[in-house]
Amino acid sequence: MLYFIPGIVLEQRKEPMLSRDMAVMKPDAPRTFSNPFKEILPRELRPEEITELARLADIIDESDGRSLYEKLIEADKRGVEAVIADAIDDEPYISSQLNIALHEPEKIALALELCAKAAHADLSKTRVAVYRHVLDITIRIPKKLAGVEVMRFGGRYPAEMRAYHKFQKEKKTFSAGTGALLHLVRAAERGIAQTTCFVTVAGDAVANPRNLEVPVGTPVSEVLRFCGLAADPEAVIVGGSMTGRSVSDPEEEKVGVMTRGILAFRESHKSLGYICIGCGRCDHACPEGLSASQLRRFAEFGRKDLLELYDVDRCIGCGACSYVCPSKLDIGSAIFAAKRSLAAEKVLSEKGGAAE
Amino acid sequence: MNEHGLILQNAPHVRASESLFTVMADMVVALTPLYLIAWFYYGPRALLLGLTGAATAWALDLLGVLVCGRRPDLRDLSAAVTGLLIPLLMPASVPYYIIVAACTIAILAVKFPFGGTGNNLFNPAAVGFAFAAICWPGQVFSYPAPMQQLAVVGEAVAKTAVSPAHSLMRGAIPGLDLFDMILGNASGPMGATNILVILACGLYLWVRRTIGWRTPASFLLVCGLMATAWPRSPFGVFDSVGWELCSGMLLFGAVFMMTEPVTSPKRDFAKLLYGAAAGVVAMLFRYFGGFEDGFVFALILMNVSAPLFDRVCEHLLHKIRRGALLPEKKLPASGAERPPREKKPKPGLKKKTETGVGV
Repeated sequence: MLYFIPGIVLEQRKEPMLSRDMAVMKPDAPRTFSNPFKEILPRELRPEEITELARLADIIDESDGRSLYEKLIEADKRGVEAVIADAIDDEPYISSQLNIALHEPEKIALALELCAKAAHADLSKTRVAVYRHVLDITIRIPKKLAGVEVMRFGGRYPAEMRAYHKFQKEKKTFSAGTGALLHLVRAAERGIAQTTCFVTVAGDAVANPRNLEVPVGTPVSEVLRFCGLAADPEAVIVGGSMTGRSVSDPEEEKVGVMTRGILAFRESHKSLGYICIGCGRCDHACPEGLSASQLRRFAEFGRKDLLELYDVDRCIGCGACSYVCPSKLDIGSAIFAAKRSLAAEKVLSEKGGAAE
Repeated sequence: MNEHGLILQNAPHVRASESLFTVMADMVVALTPLYLIAWFYYGPRALLLGLTGAATAWALDLLGVLVCGRRPDLRDLSAAVTGLLIPLLMPASVPYYIIVAACTIAILAVKFPFGGTGNNLFNPAAVGFAFAAICWPGQVFSYPAPMQQLAVVGEAVAKTAVSPAHSLMRGAIPGLDLFDMILGNASGPMGATNILVILACGLYLWVRRTIGWRTPASFLLVCGLMATAWPRSPFGVFDSVGWELCSGMLLFGAVFMMTEPVTSPKRDFAKLLYGAAAGVVAMLFRYFGGFEDGFVFALILMNVSAPLFDRVCEHLLHKIRRGALLPEKKLPASGAERPPREKKPKPGLKKKTETGVGV
């Protein structure tokens, strides 16, 4: 089946971060909130109390950046059946969600139960979704995690985006990142608000790569110093290895709620001065079936008519095209930028039309 | 590099290890066995022809880069691959100056006027060989019999033999066993007769993802079908297909020349169509052409139309992506957010060629 799913096969490089326990940075500063349901055991909370708890604890789902409270309300209205914990880490190095699922399965199971209750979903239909094609790990992903069935998403990168689109399409599933779920359990058990996020710190310039619980707002440089640097990095990345953003000043850059990885590499990509030879690997890699090589040219020359014909608006910005390019061209970022500017232009022209 | 010693870069931050160098080095690696087997059949002259071709093409490419004012890149082996391909299409007895002339045309007339590596409109090796075939048809199409050591320097006086492709053109039966032809023990272009070795090299390139299977497969399939439908030899269909596919440079061209990335279509479906169309044209050249094998001419013709195949395929893909080809009832699900676009006037033919030239 792997052959028929478009995308790319990636070396996952999740070890040793995945096998190690989650370390905590600044463990003595948890922020408690005034919990009105302090006396109630988590399992005895009523649905509206759970949603209220998610609101009071300010929980943001790290997989899509939406508030868990709003998501739960919306899921309840939509009438979902299944509740899924998203631990599909398909980008190389990044393992913060999977790490939580593997090391604290009981809490994730409890959180899934709470979410299912809050959204009035089927309690037996809770699942933990993981990425199937993580082959280079030493830890084994069991079939059940604390009694919750594990759902394996196979296929090439980008599997997480594909899974997310599938969940959205089905409309009867509710998915939340494992980080947000862990925060929900902490709020219910101990009345702790979400002030931290779970981050994978890795890369060949990091001396002690691991998964880390970091208070939101910590400078990236502090996180890197906590894990130790083996060498002066030439590139520091916040976010995933495939979709993350390169940072110019690690002192100024702060860890955000949605940050899932901080990577430091000894060497940056150097432009080799190659030009496109039209090998078509990028077209083959594109999970959306777009002609990446042509789109890059049209973006370069600003051919808007052709960009539309070639469906630039379908680009999901996964970066698979840039990954495979033998000429090391920045195909993905060029196409994504073209998509954005085209969309912005459309919005502007629509607004202009409305004003007239 | 900024004051923190950091360099900003675009995502993704991990990249595949394949580069232009490895792609071209793969081609060199795959062509080496063909030279070794040619050495076995014709002596060291075969190797020297290859070295001459590669050195000429590489040196001229370097010259072209310098004239264009670019920084020369020693990792760019594409010119050397062109130089290695041309001698393999010629008999081992060909004079050195023909190789030099063919490589010169390939690099200076086909590659650089259009902008060097990655921009050539035609396959340089095909045009180089076509030039030699038109200028020196006597030398380029007279093949020495295999298993004889040719003089290394100077003019190679050799016992010539009628090549299978030539007998087929004359309507005769190649006086050869099909098994000998598969092993390469037949007269013909020094690299293109060794069917088994070519297949093995093709397999290597396919496993390494340097070439795709679609273009060669559809090309050979259509050639085989045409040989079945209109056999040129009075013997059975099986012999006709075997002789047509194993003679001349069909298989060699399908594996090494049609898959050249710059001049072939990019999309999978377009590749299948392109291969099939090239098969028809190549066989028509065989049936009605003046030379015993018109593969290179067919390839040059097809190279021009490659962007057209891509564009047609893209219109089709566009419809598929927008769900226009799905049954009606499925439309609302995807059509609600993304209504099918209203049909725009197609870009004129002039525009098409404009973008095509830029490839």
